[in-house]
Order: sequence, then C-alpha cells, then structure tokens
Amino acid sequence: MANVVSQYESKPPPFGHEMRKCFSFDPEYINMNHGSYGSLPSPVAEAIKPYYALAEANPDLFHRFTSIDLIRDVRKRIAKFIGAAHTEEVVFVPNASHGLNTILRSFIWEEGDIISSCNTTYNSISRTAEYISDIPPHPEVVQFTLLFPTSHSEIIQNWRAYVRSLNEMRDQSAQKLGRRPKIVAIIDSIISVPGALLPWKEMVKICKEEDVWSVVDGAHSIGQELDLNLAEANPDFWVTNCHKWMYAKRGCALLYVPKRNQHIIKASFPTSHAYKKGGGSNFVEQFEWNGTIDFVPYISASCALDFRAWLGGEHVINDYCHRIALEGGKRLAQILGTEIIDQDQDFQFTLSMVNVAVPFPPTMSSAFEIDMAFRRKLLIKRKIYPAFFYHNGKWWIRCSAQIWSQVEDFEVLGQAILEASKEILEEFGDGTEKKTMGIEDKVEKVN
Amino acid sequence: MSNTQSIAPVPIDQIVKATNILQQSSAPKFGHELLPYFSFKQGFLNLNNGSYGALPKVVTEACNELMAWQEENTDFYYRIGFIPPLIGVREQLAQLVGASDVDELVMVPNASTGLGVVLRNFLWQCGDTIIRCNTTYATVYKTIQYIHDVTPGLEISEFQLLFPTTRQAILDGWQKHITNVKANAPQGQKIVAVIDSVVANPAAAMPWKEMVKICKDVGIWTIIDGAHSVGQEDLHLADCGADFFVSNCHKWLNTKRGAAFLWMPKESQKIMLTTIPTSASYVTPGPDRPETNIVSQFQYNGTIDYTTYLSVHVALQWREWVGGEAAIHQYCNNLAKKGGALLAQTMSTKVMDPNGEFTMAMVNVTLPFPSDFQAQYDASVGTALSNKLLARNMYAVTYYHNSLWWTRVSAQIWNELSDFEILGNALVTICSEIVSEHKSANVPQNCKAVSFSSYLEQPLKGAVALDSNNGIGAPRPVTSTKVTLVGYHTQLASIRP
Repeated sequence: MANVVSQYESKPPPFGHEMRKCFSFDPEYINMNHGSYGSLPSPVAEAIKPYYALAEANPDLFHRFTSIDLIRDVRKRIAKFIGAAHTEEVVFVPNASHGLNTILRSFIWEEGDIISSCNTTYNSISRTAEYISDIPPHPEVVQFTLLFPTSHSEIIQNWRAYVRSLNEMRDQSAQKLGRRPKIVAIIDSIISVPGALLPWKEMVKICKEEDVWSVVDGAHSIGQELDLNLAEANPDFWVTNCHKWMYAKRGCALLYVPKRNQHIIKASFPTSHAYKKGGGSNFVEQFEWNGTIDFVPYISASCALDFRAWLGGEHVINDYCHRIALEGGKRLAQILGTEIIDQDQDFQFTLSMVNVAVPFPPTMSSAFEIDMAFRRKLLIKRKIYPAFFYHNGKWWIRCSAQIWSQVEDFEVLGQAILEASKEILEEFGDGTEKKTMGIEDKVEKVN
Repeated sequence: MSNTQSIAPVPIDQIVKATNILQQSSAPKFGHELLPYFSFKQGFLNLNNGSYGALPKVVTEACNELMAWQEENTDFYYRIGFIPPLIGVREQLAQLVGASDVDELVMVPNASTGLGVVLRNFLWQCGDTIIRCNTTYATVYKTIQYIHDVTPGLEISEFQLLFPTTRQAILDGWQKHITNVKANAPQGQKIVAVIDSVVANPAAAMPWKEMVKICKDVGIWTIIDGAHSVGQEDLHLADCGADFFVSNCHKWLNTKRGAAFLWMPKESQKIMLTTIPTSASYVTPGPDRPETNIVSQFQYNGTIDYTTYLSVHVALQWREWVGGEAAIHQYCNNLAKKGGALLAQTMSTKVMDPNGEFTMAMVNVTLPFPSDFQAQYDASVGTALSNKLLARNMYAVTYYHNSLWWTRVSAQIWNELSDFEILGNALVTICSEIVSEHKSANVPQNCKAVSFSSYLEQPLKGAVALDSNNGIGAPRPVTSTKVTLVGYHTQLASIRP
C-alpha cells in the first residue's frame, strides 16, 4: 500500500510557521485549537485522492473488494502502532463518540447497575450515560469529582477511594437484588477541557482490582500520547480519534476491544449483515460494513502515519509540540497575569495542550453567554481561537500547540484575550451586580 | 473566502465555483454522451447505479472545494460555518420530497443508520412485535434480529414476498398478514412494521403507501426503508401516512457517499429520544426538553465530514442542468423496461416483471442457468458471477431468489439500450463457464479473479480534473436551486470541542 507522495522525496519544512506550507489554513487565521477537530495536512489530502478516484472508477470493485482489503492493511498497521496484541482487536468507527456509544449501548443494563462518569467527562458522553439512565431499567449514573488544581497522585488516591465506595453501593444493591450488578466506569485518558493527561493506566488497574469495567475515552490520545501500549495497559475498552492528533481525515476513529471482551459487543451500530445471535465471535466482520459511507478517511490513517514518519516520527513531533505548549503557556500566563493549571504539579498533565486562566475576578459569572462572547470576539473578530471553558470557579483557555505553532502565537493570543476579557467585563459585569443574563448559570454545560 | 474584518456564514454557492461551468454550457443528451461527465474507468460498463450511486465530476470538484473550505478555519466550520448551508440542504430536500416542514427532515450518513436509530429509539418490551419481510435489506433485517435477541419476549413476524407476483397479490397477502399479527398480538403492546418502498433484491417498487394504510388502520407503526427512492421516484411524504421514511441521497440523487435523510413528522418525533451517538445537546425527556430537541441533536452528534450532506445542494444543481427530475425518471424508466426486454431476449430468459408494475429504473431478468443447476443455492456461483463480471470491466448485481438466479440492472442517464445487449452476451458466456467449471469440479480456488490486482498496479493518478470539453450548442440559462437561508428553526446547541 505504499502510495508515495512525491513531496516526501524532499526534506520537510522546519517546525514552526514554515510548517504552515503543509496545511491549508486561511493565511490570516492563527490555529490554536487543533485539539477540537484536528487538521488535515495537504500531503495527506494529496495522498488520498487516488483512493477517491478508485471509488468512482469502479464503485462496485472499490466498495465490495478494494476498500475492504485496504482497510484490513491499515488496521494491521494501526494495531501495531497502539500496541494491541492482535489486529483483530482494532476496528474503525467514524468518531470516538460513535465508538463509546457502541460500547455503552452493548452492555445489557439491569436494575442496580452503575455507570460511573466524571464532571470532566466529554459532554456528549455524559449525555450518553444520562440517556442510558433515563430509559428502563434506569442504571444509576454516579459521578467522580475531579477538580483542578490537583496532582496525579491525588487523583489516584481519590479514584481508589471512589471506586471502593462504588463497590459498597454495589454490595448493598446485591443484597436486595439477589445478584451482583455491574459497574462500568468511563475514564478519560486525556480530558478534553481542561486538556489534561490523566493517570489513566493506574485508574484502569484500580478498576481491575475492584471488578469494575474500564471504558477509556482516549479521543485525544493517538498522536499525542507517546508509547501507547494497549496490551500492557489492558483497558477493557478503548477508543481514540485518528482525525485529531494523528492527522487522519475526519471521521476516522478506532474502537479497541481485547478478545476477552468482544462477547460484550454483540452488534455494531448500525447492525451488520454479518450479525449472528450470540455475537462476539465475528467482531471484526461485523465492523467491516455498516452501511455505505466514505471509506477513504479510514484509509487516510495510513497516509497520515506516512506523513508523520516523514516529519521524523512520533517523538520528534511530540517533543516539539510539548516544548511549545510549555513555553507558549508560560508566556501566555505571563501576559495575562494568571497561571497554568498544573504549574504547581510540574506540568504533569500537559502534553500538547496547555490550560491558562483567563484574567477575570473570582466573582465572574460562569454563564454560557461568556463563552459565546469569547467566540465572537476571538474566532470571528480576531481570527484566533483557543477553546474556552469554566472549571472550578474560573474561566480557562485551552491552547493546542502544533507543529506550525510558535511562542509568538501565544503572544498574539495573549493580547487578544486581554482586550476581549476587558470588553466582556464591561458588557457582562464582574458578577457582583445582579445583571440579568437571560439564561441561568450552567456550570455543568461548560465543561 | 477570507475576510480581514470578520467571518460571516456563507452560503454554498459562494464557496463552490465548480458548478459555474454548468451555467456556461448546455447538457448533452441522455446516454453515452454523458459518460465523460462521470469518472468511470475507461470502458467500465456501469449497470449498477443502485448499489453505490455515481458521482458526476462536477460534484466531485465541488466536494473538493467544500473539503478545502473545511480546512481553512476548522473551528469556524464546525461551530458556525456548516450550519446555514446544512439547514439550506434540509430545506431543499424537504421541498423535493414533499415534507410539510424542514424540521421534519434531518440528515444521516446512510439508510442503515437512519433506520437503525429509529428502531433503537423505541422502548421495546415483552409482547411487542416487529414485522419485517424476507426481502428486508440485510442490515435492517439484522437490526431487527438484534433487537429481538436482546429483548426477551419480543416477536418477529416475517412476511414472505416471492417474485414474480402482482401488486394486488402483495396487498392481499399483506392484509391477511397484518390481520393475523394484530389478532395475535397482546393488548396494549406495540407493533412496528418495516416496509420497503423499493425492495433491493429483487428490485421492486412496492405498493408501500397502500401497505402503510393497511397498518395505520389498525394502529401499527410504519417505518419505510426508502433507500432507493429519492431521485428514482417522486415523493410526497406529507400525505404518505407513514411514521418514518429514510432514503439514501448517494444512490439515485448523485451526492457524495455518506448522505441520506430521515423524515419524521412531529408526532413521530415524540418517540425519538436520542441520536446515535447521543448528542451533547441531548436533554432528558421532561418539561425542560424542547419539542425540537431531537432535530438539534441530529445537527451535530460527533465530528463527521459534512461535505456529504452539503453535496446535496450541488447534486441538485447538476440534476437540474442535466434535464431535471421528471426527464431523468422518464429516461431511466423507459430504458429499464426496454433494456430488460432486450436483455431477456439476448439471454433467452425472462423479465421478472413484464407488465412493469414494479419497475422504475431497475429491472430483474433471470440468468441463463439450467434449472437443475440452480435448484439449490450455491454461494460460489454468486461469487463467480460477481468476479467474472468485474473481470470483464462491467457490473450488474446478481442474486438468488425464489429458486432462480437473477440479475438486477440499473438504468441510468449514461446508459443506452446497447449496454443491455453487451451485458446479456457477457452473461451467456459467464453462466456457461460457471456451469462447466462446476460440472468438471473445476471451480477456481481463489474466487477473486486475477485481473483485480491490475486495478491496484496501475499508476494511481491524482484527483480527476473537471473535463472542460462540455458539449456543444449555445449556453442556456440554468435554473439552479438556491439555498434559502430561512434562519434558525430549532434550538441550536453550541458546538463544543
């Protein structure tokens, strides 16, 4: 499947602004939020064009045979990349939400079951847990509280205590029900907002010790988290978006289910023609065709890995991004006169995303309208945009450092934030006066 | 597209330049003259539009522009930019299919997803019944199977449909079946029927509206798998009486693959709790949940490439330019009927539906196998048929139904009568090869024909360039379908990272 793009015959541009040559951004837009939707490198966009041509040259040949063979090859390559023990444990899904919904909906829920989420769980996944709880037999959603600033060791300690308390709840239910309910825990490998690497492998281990299912939302992991070794980490289920930090085309994501757990996933969504009662034994086959889609994004995962290899490989890419995240974050905090969320924990949560506080007084409202105001003033007016979120009494910015980023970008952002937050303070007040907002504070919606 | 002052929502016609060419030239006649407007490999005889559709070059180019737009400022695109054009597309489709309101129609990636999300939203209980047919499409058939397998006490009632038959016979049989199901179903439990508007194999336009009425009269839910409908038949969903209708836009409507719509009138939306995956804008059912919440949920429920949905706009412009819906349907319909007859004559076999009461743009003809040879279903025959057709640079669907092997042929605007004769001659040779291979126990080990690899070995070229040699004659005014931005009908949720 070597589809050599002629551009790879010359050396890549240096990291920093010159790397913008490999992307197709609006020249006036400073992209500081790669983490939300990813960015497609132009060489990858070029490399996949032949596959689009094949899809039209003979749609039957492509959809019945060629694409299926190609995707099997890509799965092999990706399975190795993430350290899965077997290729048969890895299948493609359109995005992480789809993968996580497939898992959560596959469990046969019963009265007394517990779904554990977190106040920092990604919003659509929290809603998924809520939906499952809203319908019979109404498993209970229990939430683990994670508030920054904190440390990895504190989180591990709290998690252990929390999971044990879940087990106590379960033991009580078991007595009443005459059977032992299950506990399914949703764990982020890297939280979305704040953009923070969690000690998820330790948290998974604790789940195992306590007989709790671990469903890992690794949406941000592949391409950002180095040395993923899933066979070693051994989560029960793991999902990641290739179209975020790995540079694949949207939508391309992985659903990883170790062989021992494939019996839980009875069916894909939508259900495949290959579905058989009892399921599980043909896990891969069930995910090979789930309705006609654009299959090229799945193929693009391999082209993305080619691009990354050309740049020098995973360590080279991530060393740069990590360095810029720290340097840029520090510069930004300096300009704003605020702090980086994990600066007192030696930045142990920071990979390529850095979180810096917005210079607002502590009384500032958490209303949704402030997020929208930042969007207008930054994304639309000033053509620079980080993710905004409210957490533990403060407004924060999450910046993504990428191979085209430089510290100067954080300086431009700093000025923009200073201006915008001044404007917002004037428009909305500092929270001490009772200004009507129209809609009540919605802390839980602004994660 | 960049603007130094600000970024405002932009309608599709300002982003896509590829369709400008349509205004500069007139369309050729239907038939082989249209082949240069598509991207088929040289000499590929495409008689199977029905499976995966085909993308006109203009739409391919427009999609490239839409994908480039997506990369310019991805935050803008996913938080603001895609919304007005998407609403515009839903408006256009709502108009095309005769929905009463844009908020009855949402986009989904494909019919399997649309039908799956509807079926999985019902809160199934012991005593409920789902009605399907032996001809229900595989993914939907298995969705129903899955629901049965995880819902103790749920019954599946299967209606047997065997062709050849007549519309009246189907309706009589359906009435009997429904009466039976209703009589045996426990009181107060729901019955849900999944009905094809057009069966896939065999290709058959069903009397689905009458079948819906039979169900509705006794309080049975109706979900229509209309995968093949839009672009092949005129739809007037507002008065069709069904509870749900799903159709693929990438089959007969020339859009990029991965675009379909789900139509659900307001009453039906009451049972729709969630999209799959669940959207960030999901609200727990109750007094706080807006009536249109499910419509908001369908707008964004996970990062996807909206290019497929937005390509509907361009596809409709193309279809208008090439002659319009009525002309397209008429050409394909006539060709399917005439072509089917010619195909049957060439192979000395029979057309399934000589009266044409089931025939729109697809026709079914029996294959020239001896009756003793095809008395039993043999999967290797199906594989061999598929491979041998592809090896000859052509394709039509082949399938086994009611103890016979058939071919299903799609008539499209790039096809002509001679295509059917070519297929017929090829199938005569192919079938005789298969029979002798089986007789001499010489079925090839590797069922995949060796010539497939030649597709992969050929030098892979870059993107297909728009063919600038467009037809002859004076330019004629093109009545392009416009995007009408009608504002936000629904409670739109903010898009989160």
